[in-house]
Amino acid sequence: MNMRINWVILCGIVLLIVENAIVPWVVPPEWSERLLPHLNLILTLFVAGYAGRHIGFLFGLGFGLLQDMLSYGYMIGPYGFGMGLIGYLAGLIAERKSFTLGFFAWVVIVLGVMLDSIVYSIYRLFRITDLQYDFIFYWQIAPTSLLQLMIALLMYVPVRRFLVKPSLSSGEDSPD
Amino acid sequence: MGGIFRLMRNKRLFILMIGLIVFIALMGFTMGRTRLTWPEKFLNDAFGTAQGALYRPVGAVADFFRDLGRLSDVYEENEQLRQTVAQYTQDQVKFNLLEADNKRLQTALHFTEQQMNMDNYRYLIAQVIGSTSNPYEKTITINLGSRDGIKPEMAVRTVDGLVGLVSKVKNFTSTVTLITSLDPNSSKGTPVSATFLGKPESFGIIEYDEETQSLQMTKIDEHDKPADGDQVITSGLGSLFPKGIIIGKVKNSQVGDFGLTYTAIIEPAAKYNHLREVFVVVVPEVEEP
Repeated sequence: MNMRINWVILCGIVLLIVENAIVPWVVPPEWSERLLPHLNLILTLFVAGYAGRHIGFLFGLGFGLLQDMLSYGYMIGPYGFGMGLIGYLAGLIAERKSFTLGFFAWVVIVLGVMLDSIVYSIYRLFRITDLQYDFIFYWQIAPTSLLQLMIALLMYVPVRRFLVKPSLSSGEDSPD
Repeated sequence: MGGIFRLMRNKRLFILMIGLIVFIALMGFTMGRTRLTWPEKFLNDAFGTAQGALYRPVGAVADFFRDLGRLSDVYEENEQLRQTVAQYTQDQVKFNLLEADNKRLQTALHFTEQQMNMDNYRYLIAQVIGSTSNPYEKTITINLGSRDGIKPEMAVRTVDGLVGLVSKVKNFTSTVTLITSLDPNSSKGTPVSATFLGKPESFGIIEYDEETQSLQMTKIDEHDKPADGDQVITSGLGSLFPKGIIIGKVKNSQVGDFGLTYTAIIEPAAKYNHLREVFVVVVPEVEEP
């Protein structure tokens, strides 16, 4: 593990608050049902990439459940399940191939679409939505994942600079 | 391909299965539940307070910039408002006379205290402190909770019209489901009965069609053919829900499913995003017999 995990958790909480309080105002009204970025998904991918699959899994699970609880209208769990799974998957991918910028962009797109698809299928399973998948893909999933890619690229440099420990000190096990 | 199968070894698959079962149990258990446990309340209240500190100032700034863009419309809007005020003062005189009349008749007919107060709704002003990014549970959070007397299923409105229903109540905050989640084909939501402003006898049910993104009033009797531009208000049938809250205007109408009823497409009076201030409608308590 070579991430400042306490700072990462703090950052996750801040991102969650930003997502619920500021993002709705930044998105223009006509697009407010289409652009629903999950900032913590992006952070989960970073965590899984730099701190390993187990930390990524726990991080995704925890913040997914937290988000479910905050938006609790019908049920708790879809995001907890989806983000936990995706944190683990991203960790597995990162063990095979390290996250360069270009590869990371693909990971954000593919796993972002996958999270929204998992959540959609859960809501479909419980008959809370009866929309078709191709409609919801065009209406919400595709624009959202493109926006998530942009946010991820914006976060790439700050996360590497402030949240990832420099690889030199990783061997020394500094108490930082 | 062989690598993929080795990747998903038995242990991982097993844990995934267990996880799936646990989560499906959790989802099933939390569905259709109205009471919350204290950790949920605590987390929601804590995050709600932090969100409120951000949401309102950001909203004020965003509104300011939007208003700057609309400065040129102000004259036109002013003109319209003057006309509305003139109309309103005229109606006020009529209303006062009618109310006095009504009260006199009610006393003459020996209405009970409870019957007389039935339509005296209390409005609690609530600040919106957040909305969520979950596309299937579009909820907003308001800064009033059970401490302020909020209960589940209360109606929430803005100055313009009906916005939603309170769904989960915490100590200091509560969650409001928007009426755009009243989908008849899925297992969620409470039906809201509606009526036309000009025809108090008419009846219909409010639904939201997600595919066409429009509000509908269905199951209208064939004798009450909706006309374009009719005002739609809540009817208060079923007594728990307040009556007389504006929902919207009829945009167009068509014959319903079996040719026996009408369906009206409604243009909502309130908007459901970028909300800052809402009112929770408190219906006077009905005493248990």
